[in-house]
Amino acid sequence: MSAGEWVLLAYRLPREPSTPRIALWRRLRQLGAAQLLDGLVALPADSRTREQLEWLADEVVEAGGEATVWLSRPGSAGQERALASRMQAAVAADYREVVEEAAVAGSGPAGQRKRTLGRLRRELRRIRRRDYFPPPERERAAGAVEALADSLERAAA
Amino acid sequence: MRWATRSGPHVDRAACAWLVRRFIDPEAEFVFVDDPDEVPADATPFDIRGAELSHHGGECPFEAFLRRYGLDDPVLSAIARIVHEADLEDGRYDAPEAPGLDALLRGLSLVRGDHEVLELSQPLYDGLYEYLKRATLLGREPA
Repeated sequence: MSAGEWVLLAYRLPREPSTPRIALWRRLRQLGAAQLLDGLVALPADSRTREQLEWLADEVVEAGGEATVWLSRPGSAGQERALASRMQAAVAADYREVVEEAAVAGSGPAGQRKRTLGRLRRELRRIRRRDYFPPPERERAAGAVEALADSLERAAA
Repeated sequence: MRWATRSGPHVDRAACAWLVRRFIDPEAEFVFVDDPDEVPADATPFDIRGAELSHHGGECPFEAFLRRYGLDDPVLSAIARIVHEADLEDGRYDAPEAPGLDALLRGLSLVRGDHEVLELSQPLYDGLYEYLKRATLLGREPA
């Protein structure tokens, strides 16, 4: 689990225009931020997550909103566990999708398998970037993608 | 001239420092700070909250430098795409070099101090510039 320090972004953005709201939402999803409340998100604190949320705060302000960045500690271990397991469950679901897609592609023609392999490797890399509390599915997904690569090796041999 | 940025430079700040030295201010001197309030009065800040040369409108500071100094060079634009993806990873550009460059710079920052990271990354960016320049001229990657 984390060292216990979290970085929070508290923000308020005007309803309209919707473009900055959507851009912010997309970016928070890429970062794997946990929504604590409407307008309050959290990530385990490290130099990367902190700077990413700081840039987002700047962009919220530029879009006419308000934003502040805070470093904080959960009031109890249980509270942190609940948040961490929620974040873990979210990435676990993303990994399971990779496992399923690899299984489906495994029975397809070689050309398609190869294309799917490239796409799944990129997808895996993206999921890992937002995986702060690795679930067992992480290894399973990596294994499924490598099995797909092996099946192509064997087909070529 | 003095230039200030946050300590712990990675891909973007190292690329900006290289850009400043090569294209804007050969005599540049860099200062590292931990808080925007610590920027010396005579220094131009970059990649710091509130600075003009920072993250704006989904762009990274390196892109802000190109815009601000009118550096219209296709090779620098190619480097900007790599730096953007390494810094923001938002999938806006196809830059397969980005994760590798990011790993190299992050690793370097673990074993060397801030000023050394800048010094050591200069030849790396010189090389990347030369490589991409040849690629642009040839229309394909050089051997």
